[in-house]
Amino acid sequence: MRTTLRVNGVDREIDVPRRTTLLTALRDDLGLTATRYGCGAAQCGACYVLVNGRAVASCLLPVEQASGVEITTVEGLARDGDLSPLQQAFVEEDAMQCGYCTSGMLISATALLHADPRPTDAAIRDALAPNLCRCGVYTRAIRAIKRAAEAEAGGSVQATERSRT
Amino acid sequence: MTWGEREPERVEERIRIEPDGTVVALSGKIEFGQGIRTAFAQLVADELDVPIEKVRVVLGDTDHVPHDMGTFGSRSVAQEAPLLRRAAAYARELRARGKPIEGAIPTDVRLRPDAERRYVGKPMPRLEARDIVTGKARFVADVRVPGMAYGAIVRSPVRNAPVRRVDDTTARAMPGVVAIVREGGLVGVVAEREDQARAAADAVEVEWGEAPPPNEQRWDVPIRDDKGVDEAITAAPTRLEAEYILPPISNAPIGPSAAVADVRADGAMIYAGTQRPFGLREAIAEALGFDEERVRILPQMPSGTYGRNSSGDAPYEAAILSKHARRPVLLQWTRVEEFAFAPTRPAAYLKVAAGLDANGRISAWRYDEHTNVHTGGGFDPRWGAEASGRNAEPHYRLPKARVTLHVEPTPLRTASFRSLAAAENVFAIESFIDELAHAARQDPLAFRLAHVEDPRLRRVTEHVAKSAGWGRAPGERRGLGIAATIYHGTYIAEVAEMHVAQNGRARLVKVWAAVDPGATLNPDGVRNQTEGGIQQSASWTLFEEIHHRDGRIANSGWDTYPIATFRDAPESIEVDVIGDPTKPSTGVGEPGAVCISAAMGNGIFAATGVRVRQLPMTPERVRG
Ligand code: FES
Ligand code: FES
Repeated sequence: MRTTLRVNGVDREIDVPRRTTLLTALRDDLGLTATRYGCGAAQCGACYVLVNGRAVASCLLPVEQASGVEITTVEGLARDGDLSPLQQAFVEEDAMQCGYCTSGMLISATALLHADPRPTDAAIRDALAPNLCRCGVYTRAIRAIKRAAEAEAGGSVQATERSRT
Repeated sequence: MTWGEREPERVEERIRIEPDGTVVALSGKIEFGQGIRTAFAQLVADELDVPIEKVRVVLGDTDHVPHDMGTFGSRSVAQEAPLLRRAAAYARELRARGKPIEGAIPTDVRLRPDAERRYVGKPMPRLEARDIVTGKARFVADVRVPGMAYGAIVRSPVRNAPVRRVDDTTARAMPGVVAIVREGGLVGVVAEREDQARAAADAVEVEWGEAPPPNEQRWDVPIRDDKGVDEAITAAPTRLEAEYILPPISNAPIGPSAAVADVRADGAMIYAGTQRPFGLREAIAEALGFDEERVRILPQMPSGTYGRNSSGDAPYEAAILSKHARRPVLLQWTRVEEFAFAPTRPAAYLKVAAGLDANGRISAWRYDEHTNVHTGGGFDPRWGAEASGRNAEPHYRLPKARVTLHVEPTPLRTASFRSLAAAENVFAIESFIDELAHAARQDPLAFRLAHVEDPRLRRVTEHVAKSAGWGRAPGERRGLGIAATIYHGTYIAEVAEMHVAQNGRARLVKVWAAVDPGATLNPDGVRNQTEGGIQQSASWTLFEEIHHRDGRIANSGWDTYPIATFRDAPESIEVDVIGDPTKPSTGVGEPGAVCISAAMGNGIFAATGVRVRQLPMTPERVRG
């Protein structure tokens, strides 16, 4: 089956068997391996991508339903080599260990900050609850997401603070 | 113990300086999120006085790094760092003298004084961090090799069941199928696409034989055996006994096992997430009938597995599939396979009894640890007590004690898992110490301190009590619990603030930890590892249990094996790193996980008066 996916702002043509999942198409046909397999059952968050700005499990989404929408993967979060405030905050807080779950967390957090630019702790926990991390970086990730929210709200203040630390 | 011993080191096996000035540091250790790549780069950059960007750390590539027994426990930094540092120091000497970087490293090589070191001891983001957040990082299953096909395994209902008959008529004709493979007990499919491999694997019909009975051998290993323990307990004015029970649990990595194998007529390349690249090389070479030199292991970033990666199932399976298909093969286990066919941490049953003298001091102690072997490789009497009986002996003053490890096989295969048996033993010991304190009508902190001899253990215990505000009442249905231990030379004490809801649901609200891992290379790395250990072990404590029957595991996904989520994360985990700079560095990957279960149980007792002696601490058990 031939179809076109719009991924990270670019139209990409693929030829895959019917019912292929978006996860498989991204990883095996488009070489975008930052979206990862964890369970194949929408239970872990490792495969999350943005579909029209919302975080969804790509492991259950057939490509038939993924054409005609705007898909963003972790590869598409940085602009011209500049990390997004979230990516930057995850690095600064070292909010990762093995990093396997990090892509999914970044996707969920991007969707969250888009909908709710100054989320409370509870809102962060709820939005990220589908993203399991076995290494246990939850408290750091919450810190990183708050840091990114602050950076986006008061960009310049945050920038001077950062240069001091 | 001879595990870590080596031949005299040669500098060129460790450090190379490229024409453009890049320093290549070589180590057989493996990075799996514990930050050793960064720690090693800091060390080498300082010793050779180059910017850290100029250092490239190569880990585990068997064609290039010196032979290594594997990255076990959290001692990788502890044992490897001084070796790398000496090699880098010698390379600096040779470079200054305009000599080639080669030769045996002299024992008296001069190290740069700490005051001149720029990186070591300073917090810095891990070197991989940027690649991880931009998606550039390559995990095992992200490896793409030209001509690569995909594999899937046909699983037997129980492990090691022999293959009686295979009918692959239907599977053979399915789209994309490249090969149906059968070798020994392994049956699998290779296809152009992963879905095709799985569909065909489902269509292969296999008649399985009877699996050989599991090994039933038992061992009793005395760890400490003073005379007159039973008599002393019987004679004590106060006596106490308790039993603690822990279920089997799964390492449960977020990324299931995976491997890529490219097996040719004259050699093989294996991309794997392994903690023992040389051990894996030996095993793969033997399975393929190659000389070891023809097999190259290229360790890739693995999903954290916390010890599980020392078993080489996926690389072996991928190698056999690739050999028969004559194509490079990526094998990605499914989540169901990861739960049902991965080894697990065995169950433990811990029986403890003690006597208190008239002053409320422990006069005698008896401890029986019943569990299976705790290392993937099976029981080795030489390391029995060290691995399966780890931390079975308390670090308190005990006038008389008998501590015995009873190794009792279970139908489930064992995985090495973070801290091996230490987390279980410390759960029992530190819970029981709390029980003794209450029996003696003493404050649990004061009772501990009255039995501590080691000044470093005293220091971390006092420190954490102070940070947590020990002695305060944290509020309605809330309680503070404390626990401490020494794990492989690392001193750690933790306080847990627990909240217990009316329905018995226990929540970890806040954690304080004080850790002394000796001289500290990267304090924030220590904090991150300790926090992670605490979070993971809190998840074991509250939620996790493998269910099994006749050797078959029933858990098949995160719905049947729930772990802690963002909603369960404590409000804060404050880790104070108070390493004694005059003492050698010790590991930090595991200690965090070791005492939190007891601290949580003790906190629940403080909150409600219910003593939970069985994990997981479900609402039913917490309601008492
Ligand atoms: S792989 Fe999609 S949610 Fe786990
Ligand atoms: S960082 Fe390893 S699973 Fe989250």
